[in-house]
Amino acid sequence: MSTAESATSTATRRTPGLVPVTETMRTTERTEEPATDHPAAGPSGPSAPSGRRSAARATWAFWRLLGSELGLTFRRPRNLVMLAVLAAVPVVIGVTLRLVGGSDDGMGGIIQAVAGNSLMLTFVSFSFLVLLLMPVAISVVAGDSIAGEAGGGTLRYLLAAPAGRTRLLAVKYLNAVVYAYAVTAVVALSALLTGLVLFPAGPVTLLSGTTIPVLDGLVRIAITVGYVGAGMAALAAIALALSTFTEVSIGAIAGTMVLVIVCQVLRAIPELGSITPYLLPTKFTNFDAVLRSPIDTGALADGLLTFGAYILLFGTIAWARFSGKDITS
Amino acid sequence: MRRGTFVRWGVPIAAAAVIGAAIGAGPVIAAVSGEPALPERSAAQLLADAVAATNKEGGAAPMSGTVQQTSSLGLPALPSSGSASPLSLLSGSHEVKVWFGAADKLRVAMPTQLNETNLILNGGEGWYWDSATNTATKLTIKKGDTHTPATPVPQPSDLTPQQVAERVLAHADEHTAVRVINNAEVAGRPVYQLVLSPKEEGSLVQEVRIALDGETYVPLQVQVYAKGSAEPAFQLGFTQVTFTPPAAENFTFTPPPGAKVEEKTIGLEDMRGKQAEQHAEHAERVASEAKVVGDGWASVAVIPFSLSDLTAAATGTPDASATPGGPGEHFGEGADPQALLDSVLKSATPVSGTWGSGKLIKTKLVTALLTDDGRLLVGAVTPEEITKAAGTK
Amino acid sequence: MTAVMQEAGAPFGAAPPSGDAIVTEGLTKRFRGGQVAVDALDLAVPRGSVFGFLGPNGSGKTTTIRMLLGLVAPTAGEYAVLGLPQAEALPKVGALVEGPAFYPYLSGTANLMRFDAADPYAVRGTVRRRVEEALERVGLSAAAGKRYRNYSLGMRQRLAIAAALLGPRELLILDEPTNGLDPQGTREVRALVKEIAADGTTVFVSSHLLAEVEQMCTHAAIMRAGRLVAQGTIASLNGGLVTRIRVETPDEPGAARVLGSLGLAEVRIEGGQVLAELGGHAPEQINAALVGEGVAVRGLAVVRPSLEDVFVGLTGEGFDVDG
Repeated sequence: MSTAESATSTATRRTPGLVPVTETMRTTERTEEPATDHPAAGPSGPSAPSGRRSAARATWAFWRLLGSELGLTFRRPRNLVMLAVLAAVPVVIGVTLRLVGGSDDGMGGIIQAVAGNSLMLTFVSFSFLVLLLMPVAISVVAGDSIAGEAGGGTLRYLLAAPAGRTRLLAVKYLNAVVYAYAVTAVVALSALLTGLVLFPAGPVTLLSGTTIPVLDGLVRIAITVGYVGAGMAALAAIALALSTFTEVSIGAIAGTMVLVIVCQVLRAIPELGSITPYLLPTKFTNFDAVLRSPIDTGALADGLLTFGAYILLFGTIAWARFSGKDITS
Repeated sequence: MRRGTFVRWGVPIAAAAVIGAAIGAGPVIAAVSGEPALPERSAAQLLADAVAATNKEGGAAPMSGTVQQTSSLGLPALPSSGSASPLSLLSGSHEVKVWFGAADKLRVAMPTQLNETNLILNGGEGWYWDSATNTATKLTIKKGDTHTPATPVPQPSDLTPQQVAERVLAHADEHTAVRVINNAEVAGRPVYQLVLSPKEEGSLVQEVRIALDGETYVPLQVQVYAKGSAEPAFQLGFTQVTFTPPAAENFTFTPPPGAKVEEKTIGLEDMRGKQAEQHAEHAERVASEAKVVGDGWASVAVIPFSLSDLTAAATGTPDASATPGGPGEHFGEGADPQALLDSVLKSATPVSGTWGSGKLIKTKLVTALLTDDGRLLVGAVTPEEITKAAGTK
Repeated sequence: MTAVMQEAGAPFGAAPPSGDAIVTEGLTKRFRGGQVAVDALDLAVPRGSVFGFLGPNGSGKTTTIRMLLGLVAPTAGEYAVLGLPQAEALPKVGALVEGPAFYPYLSGTANLMRFDAADPYAVRGTVRRRVEEALERVGLSAAAGKRYRNYSLGMRQRLAIAAALLGPRELLILDEPTNGLDPQGTREVRALVKEIAADGTTVFVSSHLLAEVEQMCTHAAIMRAGRLVAQGTIASLNGGLVTRIRVETPDEPGAARVLGSLGLAEVRIEGGQVLAELGGHAPEQINAALVGEGVAVRGLAVVRPSLEDVFVGLTGEGFDVDG
């Protein structure tokens, strides 16, 4: 072999995967051929950059992967059981309040308000569930997302497919967000239905003492679902980030739960009052802002900004870790 | 690969930096902003402007906002009392929402976790609402007394900066060095800061800063700095404020169905009900026997006192120091003064001297000495000053 | 396709890069512990070949495959698969890496659909047909609806191969494809590989079994402790070694004399056997000469060099199958 040959071949291969010019031209020419089963392979190459069409295809492929992911999540018995348990909690709370509702001693105002209005059960249920049970469900799904695939070995096949690391991470996170909103919506619906069965419907009394029509109350429940779901999405970002650091999903799940519990403990220590506003779980309960008149948009915005900051920070950590990780499982 | 690693991790680091900057930006900018946003003013000019602004027709400008109060007085850990109790104001951080429509239109809301207490005053009528007990109290304010001021309504007084600012301003005399800072910011608004520094050596107070809005001259913040501490020991101020008239529904209140409704008539004399009246009488008696030793910032109040009186007087004590007047008593429901006293006394150090012996309680701002011969000495002074005062019979 | 013969360490370049399905240049992987799994690997896999990637367990085969598939980042060196950027090459590559891995709670069909969804270039409309075809090809149609959890080891391996065949591939990377298969399954896989190769697909098979590579492959590369020992066509790898003739006889000196008189080199006697380099002689003539000289021949065999001989010859070590 001649030196010149060697030089050219080295030049074309300097970067891994660098496409020699001849190859690109060849594949570009082929794009005119009709789409086959798998346009990537066979005659027409994936490097067919026919602009809008390839962008549209990439978008469809993304939604297809997300659909597949959601299919896995919502068909998995474990995840469905968690949804069912969470749906049962408002029923239990409602029935309990109905049974002991007669004696009003020692009960907080909000709990008393449930007896007076069916919609209030939703808010009471959230105030219990956001502390621990909903975070558990969300961290199970989000913490399992990458670590579970790595532990099962399926991650290597997904990436070789190739799912694309950033793309897979985005799909995994969106999947966790959808599950977070599903959890939130299921709790709200269950509480709403239980409330309507057990307690009178009618104008809702807010914490501020003002009364609003039922329809307005439903709007406020919708805002609460949006807010609490966003909070759970922020928690999912933390679980996802932890999930990229391990191949044992239980580790990522337990890690997230430990963080949540530590935050709850820190919040209970008055001397640490200066840091509590920055802890994620502190903001979960800010949804009570919708029960004030006027709605305390400041508190909601503050919470949403905090969620956004957590999502940004842990999302980028997850990305930095996952995009450079050696997959050896 | 290695270089790629650094680039990748640069992304979360940049994200953290952006978030950190966003959190830190507010206070930092306020503290170091170099460009004075407001023209220079002398203290006298500023006060004159402020007085002029307040005396304008229609009184203070309508406004609404969030007031935050933070104390780190260095008190021993207080037993947890109701979160809405005035005792809880002595430590930690608290927030109230204020809507001020006119002199007789006011709403103060204290939001707590899934609860809210509200005080709504509209003309001669007022409501006090506590969601925790589901109780609405109708307050009728007696008018007609000749000595009733034009606005018989308790101002947002104990919870907005106005009255606190006034009280501190009253102290400004030959004992105080006054200067004005014109480049500070409170709740995103440029403010003048009136800085009052005690001249007395024995005072625990480093300085008091009162922030007046650069446009409306409404006091937006009061800070009290203790000596040797960079953070204010006590701070009361708006964290968010708008000078637009609040919506009218803030000042109307209809008791919700199912709520307990109580009625109370409040005159200026019996503003705090019968029980409170007794306390007031007691306080009056105590006040008549009290005397003041020392001058200006170093003055020490000497009050005849005995441990047996302690429990009875306890309810009055926090009011006398922090929240006189107003519906504070309602906020205080559920507090246990005895427990507070116990914990305070536990932290007291026994002292003795030529004046006798007693128990010394020291906080960042206030020192109290309970002598064994039945006197209580309280002042914003060092322990040395207070024992000196104890010697002055 | 030109057959490429290369000795270890020799710079490649005999074929243009676009002609090679896989090219690596100084590819090195050092894991965090400092352990070097792959050391300066220069590999050239010609298009259309069935390429055996041979080496004992732990010799760096799987790590190399993981690097080619973008699962592990190389510490140094470069590589190109199908001469394309990785994201474009991978959809054309079917892979079986270090044994099958699927979702135990999904059926075979659902598992294949899942991995097809991960491929951004796969067409959703044809997925059912493609899954059915792939399952049929590996003989799993009957078990398509069964949960993966209930599959036998052999069925799992077949499902993994089916996943690699979901789309039309230009390159198939099979890491130990016959692992866990019974002899019947092994034969089927070999037949499948030949069939796929006949369609023009390049097949890159890693194995620690010499016989498997010898039977299936047109080309091979031999790895030892992370380094490339040799690569080239099977014939060229064997070509470096000589073919011998082995004569079993009670009359060893007689046989040795006859072989020597015929001009065969390296004649030696080993207890009841006489061995000599065959050279250009025809075995039947040697047999006739032996019989003609009255030497009793109990057996006569031509001994061709095996890859194991190549390995032993190159490394001076035995090929430790259990690694």
